[in-house]
Amino acid sequence: MSFSRLDGFRIAGVSTVVPATQLDNLALGDRYGADDVRKVVSMAGVRHRHVVSDGQTSVDLCADAAQRLLKALDWDPESVTGLIMVTQSPDHFLPSSACVVHGRLGLSVGCAAFDVGLGCSGYPYGLYLAATMLKGGGHQRILMLNGDTPSRFTSPDDHATTLLFGDAGSATALEAVASGGFASHFGLFSDGTGAEALIMKGGGFRDRFPADPRDLFVRMDGAGVFNFTIKRVPPLIQDTLAAAALDVQDVDAYIFHQSNRFIMKHLIKKCGLPEDRVPFTLEDTGNCGGPSVPVTLTRALAERQRAQAQDLRVMLLGYGVGLSWASAVVQVDARTVLMHGLSAPVGPAAEPPHEIAP
Amino acid sequence: MSQPHITLAEALGMMADAFNEPLANVQPETARDSIPGWDSMGALMLIAELDERFGIELSAEASRQMRSVQHVLDFLAQHGVLSA
Repeated sequence: MSFSRLDGFRIAGVSTVVPATQLDNLALGDRYGADDVRKVVSMAGVRHRHVVSDGQTSVDLCADAAQRLLKALDWDPESVTGLIMVTQSPDHFLPSSACVVHGRLGLSVGCAAFDVGLGCSGYPYGLYLAATMLKGGGHQRILMLNGDTPSRFTSPDDHATTLLFGDAGSATALEAVASGGFASHFGLFSDGTGAEALIMKGGGFRDRFPADPRDLFVRMDGAGVFNFTIKRVPPLIQDTLAAAALDVQDVDAYIFHQSNRFIMKHLIKKCGLPEDRVPFTLEDTGNCGGPSVPVTLTRALAERQRAQAQDLRVMLLGYGVGLSWASAVVQVDARTVLMHGLSAPVGPAAEPPHEIAP
Repeated sequence: MSQPHITLAEALGMMADAFNEPLANVQPETARDSIPGWDSMGALMLIAELDERFGIELSAEASRQMRSVQHVLDFLAQHGVLSA
């Protein structure tokens, strides 16, 4: 596949949450070295990260985001006939996280529920799958969840990853509409020869109980990932614009996976994108994997959408582990619900969740 | 369009900027171990500079194998961007 065009659906709402526990990287100088921490904060751009508490998982975050969204949209759970969960930090190998969330949300037995194992490219992929299901007929409403907790699979001894990653969950509600309206465009790509660039080698069935405990944590070849990004993302943007017959200025916002400020700034310059159309959120929420795309969508666009009360055309860009990269040009219309909040720790001492400013 | 070129002095200045090191400390014979800023982040900065200025890719493996400033200069020469 290269690019595809899909109409007949709209994004009804996007809800994102981050864990209530927030860490300040600059306060971790004693552990990682003040100079090293300052350097990471300065270059990668991550000052604060939200991380899950013990026992809190992607399923919890996504279920929380979904419950808020269903309430905001006044959708009856019975009306949802598809649930996709994109995650690389599932609760279990089996059953799927989607089935766990399905039960938690009280969805009907007539609802398809399945997982997709993708990381940083996962959000455009998930939207594409939901859109094709709606376009295919038989579905009216679908929830696409994208959540990850990278803080749980980074080694505390590896400051290159530990200081970069935060956790987040999201729920996106899509519904079928008459064909002929806004047409979205999607581009989905992979290069499995780069699988080792970002990998957690142990714990799966290739090496269930690794001899080296470090194999239970993610390993990142920073230079390799950087080279992949600067090689693949610029043509992804250019080809997506061409597929959608758009110029750079026709897109209201370019929502990047929040990988690293240094990398993103390099991409913006290389692609000639207007800086004011590329929001950054990683200073406060870090690189939270695939969900960094919807988190940026809600945090950066909610206020603008409310103020302008107009439809926005956005390009969503995910790239990373796999190697995998994907784009989507979609519309956030004036009625699309965009919401962001904190998700309280699970357990008996949990505080009730509350909203935070985008 | 012809490929941009860089003189030896400009190449050393580029590396000094990338590694955040005084120019006097970045000479052809300087070993990587003698440049504190030539760490994983410095390596990324160099990769970015080469991509931005010349559109050439310094692979992660090639970057790791560079042990001195001269190795970077050799790399530039091999790609035809270092003026004689």
